[in-house]
Amino acid sequence: MIATTVMTNEANISRGLFVLKREGKFDWILFCVTVCLVAFGVVMVYSASSYSAEINYGNKYFFMFKQIFGAVLGIAAIAILSITDYHLLNKFRYIILAVSIILLVLVFIPGIGIESYGAKRWINLPFFSMQASEVSKFGFIIFAASYMAKHHDKMTKFKGILPVLLVGGVICLLIILEPNMSITLCMIMLMFVMLYIGGARIKHFIIMAVPVIALVPILIIIEPYRLNRLMAFLDPWQSPLGEGYQLIQSFYSLGSGGLFGLGLFNSRQKYLFLPFSESDFIFSIIGEELGLFGCIIVVAAFFLLIFRAVLIAQKAPDRFGCFLASGIAAIIAIQVLVNIAVVTGSIPPTGLPLPFISAGSTSLTVFCGSIGILESISLSSHKSVECLTQLKLPREKKHKDKNEKKSQGLKTNKT
Amino acid sequence: MVISIAFLFCALMGRLFYIQVIDGRSLQAKAAQQWYRDLPLKAARGIVYDSTGKILAENQDVYSIYVRPNAVKDASQVARVLADKLDLSYEKLYTRITTERVSEITIKKAVDKATGEAIRKLGLAGVYFTVDSKRSYPEGNLLAQVMGFTNIDNVGQNGIEGYYNKYLTGVDGFAYTATDIKGVELENNVTKYVPSIPGCNLTLTINADIQSFAEAAVMDAMIEWQSKSASMIVMDCTSGAIVASAITPSFDLNNIPRDDINMLNALTKNTLIVDVYEPGSTFKTFTGAIAVEHGIGENSSYYCPGYHIVDGQRIKCWKYIGHGSQNLGDGFKNSCNVVFMNLALSLGTERLYDGLEAFGFGQKTNVDFYGESRGIIMNEANVKTVDLARIGFGQAIAVTPLQMVTAFSAVVNGGILYEPYFVESIDSYDGKNVYTHKKTEVRRVISEETSAKIRKYLGLVVSEGSGKKAQVEGFPVGGKTGTAQKYGNGGIAQGKYVSSFIGAAPIDDPKYVVLMIVDEPGGYVYYGSMTATPYAGSVFGKIANYLGISVKEAEATIAMPELTDVSLYDAIAILNQKGLYYELVGEGTKVVSTVPVAGTMLPEGDAVLLRLS
Repeated sequence: MIATTVMTNEANISRGLFVLKREGKFDWILFCVTVCLVAFGVVMVYSASSYSAEINYGNKYFFMFKQIFGAVLGIAAIAILSITDYHLLNKFRYIILAVSIILLVLVFIPGIGIESYGAKRWINLPFFSMQASEVSKFGFIIFAASYMAKHHDKMTKFKGILPVLLVGGVICLLIILEPNMSITLCMIMLMFVMLYIGGARIKHFIIMAVPVIALVPILIIIEPYRLNRLMAFLDPWQSPLGEGYQLIQSFYSLGSGGLFGLGLFNSRQKYLFLPFSESDFIFSIIGEELGLFGCIIVVAAFFLLIFRAVLIAQKAPDRFGCFLASGIAAIIAIQVLVNIAVVTGSIPPTGLPLPFISAGSTSLTVFCGSIGILESISLSSHKSVECLTQLKLPREKKHKDKNEKKSQGLKTNKT
Repeated sequence: MVISIAFLFCALMGRLFYIQVIDGRSLQAKAAQQWYRDLPLKAARGIVYDSTGKILAENQDVYSIYVRPNAVKDASQVARVLADKLDLSYEKLYTRITTERVSEITIKKAVDKATGEAIRKLGLAGVYFTVDSKRSYPEGNLLAQVMGFTNIDNVGQNGIEGYYNKYLTGVDGFAYTATDIKGVELENNVTKYVPSIPGCNLTLTINADIQSFAEAAVMDAMIEWQSKSASMIVMDCTSGAIVASAITPSFDLNNIPRDDINMLNALTKNTLIVDVYEPGSTFKTFTGAIAVEHGIGENSSYYCPGYHIVDGQRIKCWKYIGHGSQNLGDGFKNSCNVVFMNLALSLGTERLYDGLEAFGFGQKTNVDFYGESRGIIMNEANVKTVDLARIGFGQAIAVTPLQMVTAFSAVVNGGILYEPYFVESIDSYDGKNVYTHKKTEVRRVISEETSAKIRKYLGLVVSEGSGKKAQVEGFPVGGKTGTAQKYGNGGIAQGKYVSSFIGAAPIDDPKYVVLMIVDEPGGYVYYGSMTATPYAGSVFGKIANYLGISVKEAEATIAMPELTDVSLYDAIAILNQKGLYYELVGEGTKVVSTVPVAGTMLPEGDAVLLRLS
C-alpha cells in the first residue's frame, strides 16, 4: 500500500475519536437480519432444550430465559456500540487485548474457572458466567485490525506480521490449554484470513502453515480421543454408541427433517437423543423441525449478514474500520461454516456454537456487539465513501484518490 | 472472500440436500427405531381339537414382567416386591435393576394371571407388563408324545406343536410407545397398536374317547405285566387316519420335566413313529398276504416237525414238538413258523421284497410328524436263504409300529395302502378353512380277493387261535399275535421280549385297526397272546360300545384243569378236548405250573400258559 495514507488515516482516527459524526447510514438490513436470527435463536433454543431443561433443571424455560437475557444484552450492545465511535476500540486496543488474555488466564484459577466436559472454558462470576474464548476472538480482531492499519506497509514482510502472529499465538495457546481445539482452529483460521486481508504474502502463509500442520499430530498425541473423533467422522456407523454417536444422532435429526421438516417444536431427537441439541448441534434441530428449506433460509440469512459486513468493510473510511469489519465478517463466516460442516459430518466433529442462534449468552452478546461495531463503522464511514464516489467533496479530492485506491486494493484482496 | 464463502455455503447446502433428501428416509427409519419402544402383543397360538371338537390344546393368559431401570423410582421397593411375589432373589434383582446398562430387563415370563394382576395393582413405577399366552392342555397326559409341546416362548418344539408350528403360530402385534432416550414415555404419546392375528386351529384325526381307551389299556398292561413300556395305535384303516396313539410311561403336558433333559427325551419320544420294534409273528400276515397274492400256499399242505432245515441250518418252530400237518389256515391259527418259512422260500427274495416294499416297509410312511424312522430291513442283495426263511415268520426285521398298522390296514381294507396322518383340517381363527386332508392312496398292494382271504384267516386266529383274548362278541375281531425276542448289541437279548397283537374289527368290513405292544413284559408270561391280546380286545370292546354296538362279555364256562406234574402230551390232549388254546414256556416234557391256576373259569377258546421243565 501507499505509504502516504498513514498520515491521513491518523488524522481520520484522531478526528473522530470522541464524537461520532453521523455521516453514514445505519445498516437496517444488517440490523434486521441480526434481530431475526437472534429471535429465531431464542425460539429454536426453547424448542431444542425445553425437554432436557425440564429434566435437568426442572424448568423447561431454563435455556430460553438465559438466551433471552443474552439477546437483551446483545441488542443493548448493538445499540451502545453503534452510537459509539469504533475508533475508541483502536485507542483501547491494548486494554481490550489485555482483558481478553486476563480472562483466558482466569479460567485456570480454581474457584473462578469452571470445568465441564473435561475442559476449563468458563469463568464463573457471582452474577454471570462467561466463556472467555468468545471475548478473546474479538480482542484479537481489534488488535490485529489496529496493528495492520498502523503498520500496513510492513505487512509484506515476515517481520511485519510477527506481532500479529505472536498475539494470535498466545491466545491460541491459552485456548488450547483449556483445552478447546475447535475455538483454537477458528482462531488460527481467523488469524490467516486477517493477515491475508492485511496484505501478507502467500509465501509467509506457507511458512506459517508448517507449524500449524505440525501441530495437528501433536494435538492428537496429547489427547488421543481426537484421533478417534477423526475416525468417527469418516465412518460414524463403526461405533454407533461410541465416537460416532453424536454424528449419527445429528444425521438422524437432519434426515428426519427431509425437505420441509417435522414442524416447529416437533423434533424427536431433542428428547435426549441428540446431545448439545440446544448449543453446538442446534442446526440439526433446525434441519429436523424446518427441513432443508428452513436450513436454506437460515444459511441465506447468514450469507446476507456476512455480505452486508463485507460491504461495510469495503465502504469503511479507513484501514482500521475496513480490517475490523472484515475480521468480524470472517469470524462469523468461519463459525457458521465450521458449525454446519460439523453438523453435516463434512469435517471432524468439534464443539463450536452457531453464531446468534446456539444457546450461550456470552457468544450471543459478543456477536451482537460485533454487529454494533459494524453499524458504527457503517454510520461513520458511509457518507465519506458516498461523497468520494460522487465527487462531492473537492476539498478532500487528493484524499479521495488515495482512499479509492486503498479500497480497491482491499477489494481484490478480499474476494 | 464473498465468492469463496458463497461457494462453501453452496457445498454445505449440497451436503445437506444429500443427508436430508436423498438419505432422509432411511435415516428417519433408523431414527424411528430409537424413538419408539415396541412391546409385542403376543398372538394367541391356534387351538388343537380332536375329531369330535374336544379341546386338546389351548392358551391361558399369563403375564410377562419387565423393568425399565430408568423409570424405576424406588429400586429397593421394586426389587423387594418382585422378589417376594415371583419367588426370586432380592439381591440379584436389586443389582440388576440398579446396575444393568440396558433399557429393559425381562424379570419373568409366564407369570400366572393372579400373581401378575396382584403386582400390577401395586402400580410400581418402572415395572411393565405384557399379557402373553401360555399353552395349556386340558387333558393333561392324553396324547402327550403326539401333541409335543412348546418352549417358554410359545414356539412348538416337537410333535404336532412342532410340525404344525407354522400354522399354529399367529402374527404378533405391537404396541408402539414414543419415549425419550431413557425409555420415559413422552407426554404427548399416543400408543399405537398393531393388533395380533391368532394362529390357525387344528382338528386332529385323534378321537379323544378312543384315545382314552387306549391310554387306559397301555397303562393297565404296563402295570399288569411289569413291562418297560406299553403302547397302542388305533387307525381308521379306510383312510389312514390315526384315531388313537398312546404310550406309557407318559408325562403331563402341563408340567413338562424340562429340568432333566434325558428324562425329557425319553418320555417325550414318540416311539410309535421314531422307534422300531421286532414284529415277530404279527409279520406273518404280510408273508401270507404276499404269498396268496401270488397264488402260493392256499392249496398246499405243510408238515411241521418243530423245525425246518434251510441250507443245512435247523430253524425251530416256537412249538418245538411240532404242529404236524398244517394248511395255510392252520398256519395262521397256530402261528406255525414252518408254514411261513415255506411260503417265503416259495416266493423267493425278489417277490417277497417287492411285496414288503409295496406295503411300505423300509420306507417312511410320510406321516405328518417329525423324526419318522424307516425301519430296519436287510439289503435285498445280502439276503441269504436262511434270512429269507426268517423274514417269512417275522424275524430279522424291525419295523415302526406306525408302518405296521399302516401296512396291516392295507391288508384288511381291500388292499389299498393309505398315507397315515394326524391332522384332518386346519382353519384360520375366524373360521376360514386353510387345509383339509384328502385321503391319500399310496398304491394298491394286494387284490380285494387276497384281502378277503387274509381277513378270513385273521378271523380264525381270533376265533379259534392265539388271538382268542381279543375277541369281542358282536364285534368280530381278526388279527395276529406276535412274540419276538428283542435284539440288542448285535444279537438276541436273552429274556427280553416284545409282545404284540395287531387286529382289525369288524373283520368282515374293517374300520379300526389296533396295534398293542407290550415291551419287555416282566416274568415268564411274555406271549403276545397273553399280554397284548387281552388289552387290544378290551379296546375293541370299548370302541364297539362307543359305536353303540351291544357286546356281550364272553361267558366263562370252562374250568382250568389241574395240569401240574402232568406230561406235556397229556396236558395238550386235555386242553384240546376242553377247547382251550395254549402257549408253552421252557423246554421239557412235564408241566410245572399253569397260568391261570387250576379252577379258574375261562371262556371257550381262551389261551393258557404251560410252564415246562
